[in-house]
Amino acid sequence: MDDVLRIRDLHKKFGRRRRVVHANAGIDLTVAAGQVLGLLGHNGAGKSTLVNQVVGLLRPDAGQIVLDGVDAVAHPEQARRLTSVQAQANVPITGLTPRTAIELVGRIRGGDTAQVRTRTSHLIDALELGEWANTQSEKVSGGVARLTAFAMAAVVPGRLVVLDEPTNDVDPVRRRLLWREIRALADDGAAVLLVTHNVREAERVVDRLVVLDNGTVLADDTPAALTQSRSGTLTLEVDMLPSVDTVPMLRLAWPEGLVVTDRGQGRATAAVPADQAAAVVAWASETLAAGRIERYALTPASLEDVYIELVGSQTTNEEIAA
Amino acid sequence: MSTAVTAAPTVTAPPAALSPLRQLGLVVQWQMRRRTQELPLLILLQLLIPVAVVIGYGLLVGDAGPVAGLYLATGAPVITLVTVGLVGTPQFVSQSRTEGSLDWMRTLPVPRTLFLLADLAVWTLVAMPGMVTGVIVGAWRFDVDLAPTWWVVPAALLVALTAAAVGYALATMMSPPLAMLMSQVLVFVVLLFTPISFPAERMPDWAQQMHTWLPLEPMAQAIRSGLASNDFDMPGRSWVVLAVWCAAAVLGARWALNRRH
Repeated sequence: MDDVLRIRDLHKKFGRRRRVVHANAGIDLTVAAGQVLGLLGHNGAGKSTLVNQVVGLLRPDAGQIVLDGVDAVAHPEQARRLTSVQAQANVPITGLTPRTAIELVGRIRGGDTAQVRTRTSHLIDALELGEWANTQSEKVSGGVARLTAFAMAAVVPGRLVVLDEPTNDVDPVRRRLLWREIRALADDGAAVLLVTHNVREAERVVDRLVVLDNGTVLADDTPAALTQSRSGTLTLEVDMLPSVDTVPMLRLAWPEGLVVTDRGQGRATAAVPADQAAAVVAWASETLAAGRIERYALTPASLEDVYIELVGSQTTNEEIAA
Repeated sequence: MSTAVTAAPTVTAPPAALSPLRQLGLVVQWQMRRRTQELPLLILLQLLIPVAVVIGYGLLVGDAGPVAGLYLATGAPVITLVTVGLVGTPQFVSQSRTEGSLDWMRTLPVPRTLFLLADLAVWTLVAMPGMVTGVIVGAWRFDVDLAPTWWVVPAALLVALTAAAVGYALATMMSPPLAMLMSQVLVFVVLLFTPISFPAERMPDWAQQMHTWLPLEPMAQAIRSGLASNDFDMPGRSWVVLAVWCAAAVLGARWALNRRH
């Protein structure tokens, strides 16, 4: 396949002496044309550091970044011509309307005026932004601003499109439209590097997933391959009564053989082997009928479970739940 | 939705490079439009600066003689140009650094030099209305005979550009809070301790010496001799000092924009 972005053994440290943080500690990854690569990892895992090195805002300590055959570390200005970026924080566009902002960026990126206009209208329609397209940006909501920022990166897309948390603040309906446009970017030939926390939704769009933790790659595979280790396993999710901690009598007698993880906030999960599913459901319905739990659900093992297992710290669990 | 077919993005090849002039125009347009809310207020403010300088200094000095009047009348436009460049520019640049828009602009395929020139062009243009008002108000208030030469126009542009470039360099090389503080301090230095609205001889010797190396006095000399060419001359050395500061500030800001940590 036609590799657009190739990163090899990338290292980047911050700080000095005893306070050194190894933000990227030898990262390898590849994004091909037509591919959406999801980059997962908790805060501080090194995602933004990685992205900032690709677009030439940071200089790697060691390692290689090759963008469409160009050495991006040596020639950042060429790398920028090949890349379009949606930053993690919303770029303020006060004084402009979403439509003018998208069109101006498209023209600054070298797009032909007429084509940029058509493409802008397409993106505004596709993301259902019409209502706000001609409103001064200080009057639009965070979600609309986020979608505008996406459109600014997608109006004249580079060979590589970098999207840092594109779905933040976006309502569920438009989030679906956004995922569709992200997929369309790749289908039209771009390589998409997608940084996200939204494991559940990303699962349906990405072709490959790279999980970062402490500056290293924990996993790099397709969603299907990543969840395969858990095939034949289901996940039981239980919402306990608020009083479960204070009243010992309410403490649950879990079916034998289940490894229960307390997720906090009265929620627990457990991996359930498929052949025990019937027994577990019987136990859960009984417990529910007896009024000792609030709710339960049995679901196939998801990518989120795999992700949590990989990264596996309590802080991460909280973050995903949040 | 019907536009989906015609609006397919062209990602197979990077778009053809724009002509630099066209891209410069587009970036200027972006930066100006981003400021549409603040610009009228800013222009109003810097229209008031020369008026305040002319009237306020007039009160301080009392009955100004013809020479003092000439200094005040030609000093007011300089103070406007320098204040916009050294104070306005760093505040706006620091703000765009804090809000993250500068970093995002730095990911666009716009050469750093061109981006810097676009910003400097904006600030140079913004300073012009105040400069013109300063000349008119000063000449009227002190009833002085000005003899403007043709080159006062490029000289004013050079002064505005130098001031904006120094301000830009400050804002890109220092941390945003420090740059803001520096710009506040500079207002006082420019208003009170710089031979712009009064002759340099009134300053202590060491201060006079210092000002022969700083860009502020040459800025004042350039405008003064350009506006009152019968009474003042621009020493050749001052042109050199001004040009060197302008070049150094542009290069410094360019370096800071290019820097990758």
